[in-house]
Amino acid sequence: MSTLQFLMDGFSIAFQWQNILFAFVGVLIGTAVGVLPGIGPMSGVALLIPVTATITSGMPTEAAAASSIILLAGVYYGAMYGGSTTSILLNTPGESSSVVTTLDGYQMARQGRAGAALSIAAIGSFAAGIVSLIGLVLLAEPLSNIALQFGPAEYFSLMLLGLAAVSGLAGKSMTKALMMTVFGLMLGTIGIDAVSGIARFTYDLPILYSGLEFLTIAVGLFALGEVFKTILEREHEDGTIAKIGRILPTKQDLKDSAKPIMRGSLLGFFIGVLPGAGATLASFFSYIAEKKFSKTPEKFGTGAIAGVAGPESANNAASGGAMIPLLTLGIPGSGTTAILMGALIMYNIQPGPLLFDDHPEVAWGLIASMFVGNLMLLILNMPLVKVFAKIIETPKKYLLPIIIAISFFGVYAVQYTTFDLFLLLACGILGYLLVKNDFPVAPLVLALVLGPMIENNLRRALTISNGDFMIFFTKPLSLILLIAAAAWLLIPLLLKFKGRTIVLNEED
Amino acid sequence: MSKTFDRFAGIIFLLIGLLFVIESQRISESSYGSEVGPDIFPIGLGSILILLSARLLYETFRYEAVTKNEESIKYKKFFIIFFSAALYAALLEPLGYVITTFLFLVIAFQTMESGKWLQTLVIAGAFSFGVYYLFAEFLGGSLPGFPGF
Repeated sequence: MSTLQFLMDGFSIAFQWQNILFAFVGVLIGTAVGVLPGIGPMSGVALLIPVTATITSGMPTEAAAASSIILLAGVYYGAMYGGSTTSILLNTPGESSSVVTTLDGYQMARQGRAGAALSIAAIGSFAAGIVSLIGLVLLAEPLSNIALQFGPAEYFSLMLLGLAAVSGLAGKSMTKALMMTVFGLMLGTIGIDAVSGIARFTYDLPILYSGLEFLTIAVGLFALGEVFKTILEREHEDGTIAKIGRILPTKQDLKDSAKPIMRGSLLGFFIGVLPGAGATLASFFSYIAEKKFSKTPEKFGTGAIAGVAGPESANNAASGGAMIPLLTLGIPGSGTTAILMGALIMYNIQPGPLLFDDHPEVAWGLIASMFVGNLMLLILNMPLVKVFAKIIETPKKYLLPIIIAISFFGVYAVQYTTFDLFLLLACGILGYLLVKNDFPVAPLVLALVLGPMIENNLRRALTISNGDFMIFFTKPLSLILLIAAAAWLLIPLLLKFKGRTIVLNEED
Repeated sequence: MSKTFDRFAGIIFLLIGLLFVIESQRISESSYGSEVGPDIFPIGLGSILILLSARLLYETFRYEAVTKNEESIKYKKFFIIFFSAALYAALLEPLGYVITTFLFLVIAFQTMESGKWLQTLVIAGAFSFGVYYLFAEFLGGSLPGFPGF
């Protein structure tokens, strides 16, 4: 079957009534998650996994997986739309990927052009969503065909590259990022070893035999960590919200932002495909690029619409691009995609090259639904932006305890053990302390998801080679991947050595 | 970032690495005939973590301590909410979902900001009953609803 036909099949899945509903709920919650400053896409997706798992529990596995992933991915890219709203109206980015939007977006709002900024951000995000979808459709087949040639050695090296990329760019200190990665891998070894069936680090506690549940750890580190931080540190309510005014952009605005949107989309997409470099980096690069391309660079920072259009397109395109390594190679490139991958694995669906052959309805259904979801977001965000802006005013008094209650419910509903609730609380404290001291937690979660697969492939490769580690260097593809992994770690170090400051990737 | 925390974390992670290496020696031999047993990966990881922690400890001696003007940290609020959350976890099974969730939310709402009792009770009640009925009755999930059920 041709790609086009697969895509059509995907649309027939995406247009099933329950999936339209799932996509709608996903993007709606995603927008809210993006608007609320206390909760990011990662915690949003992690919190919703248990909820979707229960809602879909009556369906056949494959349909259930497709529906859940449609909803969860909707949260992910929906958050990219919502993140811009607070940046523009409040000067407080809802997500790290919308930090640069504050530079010009808030200035525009102060000049009474908030509506134009918001709608350009929505239009840009939509265009970017479509661009990244086309890229996804075009690249999915060829990339997964390449990946099908991979043996265990290549897979091991590829996953190492994924981990290196995320650690190399995360946080301020690479030592700390690497420590978190290794720690995550170590947590992943707890439980019964899949190859030999031997229990490791379980100390005869039956609850540990199946390993630490990834969901509990992710919700604890991200959602609870964030909640604890807000309870402990944030006293003052944020500033006043700017008036939105006229929503539709003028012709001049549209003309000024058409090119930045296109450039931002393409740039963002390619940055998104790279593992480790997420939406935050994409938006930064796009801002810098727009400033370079602009005939009036001095206007940036004083309310240039290109400074909103470019980065907002870029971060949305990056979130689409990030789906490519996840779906075709089975390697998540960021914290959020790692959580999406964890969700797929929960349904016993392994992302990777075989996904398109084994479970075309999941893969293509998701791709098609992203198109539907982006369209919904555009429609939702233009007229309803005033309603979403109201969400910002949700009092923290009610919001924070409810987030705790939702995480408790979510974890308990999937795991049915009190042990996981205590683990959740412990991870919450750990998450707060680690993030506060610049230990990035995204690499930890990524490593926890990838850990068992890395180990499996490592041991299979070593079994093939009779314990000889040279197998990773003699296979050309594996060698290239390893060199790339080393480069991800070494180049930032070299740049730092030369005294250059590097753009850092915050959690996204 | 705080130097003390980094040192502390460095030592803790060093010990974790050490523990992993030592405990891995106790993992029973693989029976499936490969030279690559289930202990290789954890031993390797433990060793890397030891090296990285040592590196972090070394780094803490090199950078200047950054003194951030610490915002007022509200420990009291946090500890009340945290301990009620721990109690919530412990009592969820014996007392059931609805009662524990309701109590937890009421305590947490009032700790965050006291006053507005009616609103507190209504929101906490709506959430705990709503989630339970939606989940257990409508979606057919299983949650311990009430004590003795």
